[in-house]
Amino acid sequence: MAVSFIAEDYSRPIQPLFSHGAQVGIVHSVFKKATNITFNETLLALLSDELPRMPNSVRLRSVVTDELLPKMQPGMEVYVGNDALIIPSCDFSLFLSNAPVWEPRPDVSAYKWNNETVAKHTRLLTQFLAKKQLQDGLAPLVEVLFHKQSLQETPLLHMAMPKLRLLAQASWRQNIAGIEEATRGLAGLGPGLTPSGDDVLCGFAAIMKLLSPQLSSDSQSRKHIASIIATVAKPRTTNVSAVLLEHASRGEVAEQFGSLLLTLRLPAEECKTVLKAADRAQAFGASSGGDTLLGMLLGLRALEGEID
Amino acid sequence: MVIRALLKPNTYYDSITLMSVAMAAKDLPGVEDIGAVMATAVNLELLLNANLMPAAFLAKQQTPPGSEDLLLVVRAIDDAHAEAALAVAEERLTSRADHGTTSRDEILPARSLDMALKRDEAANLAVITVAGEHAWLEAEQALRYGLHVFLFSDNVPVEQEKRLKALAMSKGLLLMGPDCGTAIINGVGLGFSNVVPRGSIGIVGASGTGMQQLICLVAAAGMGISQAIGTGGRDLSEAIGGVMMRSGLELLANDEQTKVIVLVSKPPAERVAREILLAAQIKKPVVVVFLGADPESFSSVAGNAHMARTLTGGAELAVSLSGGDRLRIPGKDALNKYDLAKERAKLASSQRYIRALYSGGTLCDEAMLLLSELLGPIASNIPLRPEWALAAGERFRGHTALDLGSDEFTRGRPHPMIDPTISLQYLERAADDPETAVILLDIVLGFCTQQNPASVFSPAIIHAREKAKVAGRSLPVIISLCGTEGDPQRLSLQRTALEAAGAMVFESNEVAASAAALLASDVMLQS
Repeated sequence: MAVSFIAEDYSRPIQPLFSHGAQVGIVHSVFKKATNITFNETLLALLSDELPRMPNSVRLRSVVTDELLPKMQPGMEVYVGNDALIIPSCDFSLFLSNAPVWEPRPDVSAYKWNNETVAKHTRLLTQFLAKKQLQDGLAPLVEVLFHKQSLQETPLLHMAMPKLRLLAQASWRQNIAGIEEATRGLAGLGPGLTPSGDDVLCGFAAIMKLLSPQLSSDSQSRKHIASIIATVAKPRTTNVSAVLLEHASRGEVAEQFGSLLLTLRLPAEECKTVLKAADRAQAFGASSGGDTLLGMLLGLRALEGEID
Repeated sequence: MVIRALLKPNTYYDSITLMSVAMAAKDLPGVEDIGAVMATAVNLELLLNANLMPAAFLAKQQTPPGSEDLLLVVRAIDDAHAEAALAVAEERLTSRADHGTTSRDEILPARSLDMALKRDEAANLAVITVAGEHAWLEAEQALRYGLHVFLFSDNVPVEQEKRLKALAMSKGLLLMGPDCGTAIINGVGLGFSNVVPRGSIGIVGASGTGMQQLICLVAAAGMGISQAIGTGGRDLSEAIGGVMMRSGLELLANDEQTKVIVLVSKPPAERVAREILLAAQIKKPVVVVFLGADPESFSSVAGNAHMARTLTGGAELAVSLSGGDRLRIPGKDALNKYDLAKERAKLASSQRYIRALYSGGTLCDEAMLLLSELLGPIASNIPLRPEWALAAGERFRGHTALDLGSDEFTRGRPHPMIDPTISLQYLERAADDPETAVILLDIVLGFCTQQNPASVFSPAIIHAREKAKVAGRSLPVIISLCGTEGDPQRLSLQRTALEAAGAMVFESNEVAASAAALLASDVMLQS
């Protein structure tokens, strides 16, 4: 007997996928608490509600994913459209129905932003990330980029460091060629399904898109940089990364990063709230959290002005 | 020093898995370094910088690896150590990924329409039981595939029902439902169905338990069913217009095996009822049971149709018209089996009311119709008249009949025909009420219902009667038992066990309701 479920919640950008006519996709990857499904140019993430919301996610109750995911295999056919998602091989149907819609684009326009306060939070967060003494991914570079500390270089850090510096510099100067070169060097770089370089680019692009109009010290918007990054990175990295970068270029980010971003508007005295949000963001994945946070901090720094 | 690699195309693991696997392999003796990355262009450059570039291995690949491929690379002191490390890494990845994946050799169950039709092109009927709100999607797909549809799901919007039935009609197909509880098509039972022999009586019904009662009574008379076509409870409403009942009637009219046709429905819209009766003017005998409708009011259009007021009456007519013995149907004679006068004499003065607890909506309707004629107002959650409706939170008021299978009782829990919990709760509540004179309840046997209802109800009945006895009351319990000897639960076994618990058991719902009326008042029954 077919089993049907209603989503716990879903991200607003995936709504058109369900509301349009039926199309066929395939299961891209399956994990313990999540699965990715590709449809043409996009990728949908079915997540357990134990995981934070993603800009491309539909979440299900964990009891459902615990039952469903072990039966799923990459390559299985999936149908989506007319408000439903159907996985015939698993006898599974999912409906959005009246499930709550989650907006992955933080509503930055609802608040006033103060450059000095945000700069203080940025410094606080760079110290926070440095103290974590992360070993994996690109987060260890926070010491070099922000605190002029030396670091025992690995091949990964050695390759990434000049590209990160170039990204920030070129973004401040609005040097398109420089941005493209930096992106080419970072896209697809490092371990993981979303390589570390992509996570950094996601954080950086989201800041450009969402906060550059409010926080650029020269008052010039740098929103367009986000699109450049997504476009250049797309053919150079994994499908999952490419989709998340596409979302980031529209200011759509995972729940924990959106929450952190909005805490930056708070007065400096509320630093504990900021650090609490940073802690949640950094804890995401093996190195993705720290890498994305590094990208956000690099973006905020780039909006302050010229980098040494 | 050697570099060995393993490429896993279109393979994905989360970073935590890859890192832990890499670390475990790196700790092996003879291993100098390991890389586990997606094979993007910059990661190949990274491998080169890390002195991990498997150049010879990549040169052998027919297709260069891409960003969707996982590349595992080991640098070790020699081949043996490198291969061992790769083997460990791969084994760890495989075991981590193994959360119940299906073997490629195992045949997946054919549960989608596509897959099922590919495996059996002769299939021509789809049974749909998905969540009601969206069941129309599946039904429409099945109809477009050219399949008849048995739509068990409820809560399908009436607009969708109308649209689906129009689609079915245009394709010459049956759409049985929505909320179609039972059907027997070419001898195969669907939904809540009973085991009966094939025979010459065909049924089209807009009532699940109404059809089951008819089918079981026909079987009790030793007769069989040719086809039993469900239409869904709303088919004879003004909105739907009896589309599927007319279609079913036409099919049975042309079916060689069917000699007598029975049409059954809960109270239909008057205009629709008249149209159905006009359509029933065919050569074959047609028995019509429109519960709640006065046969006299249709006398001008009934023509050749044989009108019956009750399900038992309908079964008796159908059996007679088919050449069977109507007296074999357990009718009012069954009342003589029990000493109802004696039972009535034992009741305390406070015990004045019938408490009817039904899982079948149509059986509840039928009981209310009979009881209200004899006793007056019957309070209910599905009242015959608005003024007889129970207020929110009100359990019983005077004579009361509850449809425990209706939405307010089944929300978030199985139907009482499947799980009797709600019936048992109300049985206890009714038993505890000093005004209760008699408890009337239905038990429906067959596929998809409880495996052994007597094993649940018998102890509950014994307990209820003993409790009442301690309180100085006698508590008669009457059961309307709908089933056949061929059902998995076996009618005779259930009857014996229930009677042993002190219940009075009737196979005719009409007779069960009559017995309850006799116990609760001084009414005289028509012969």
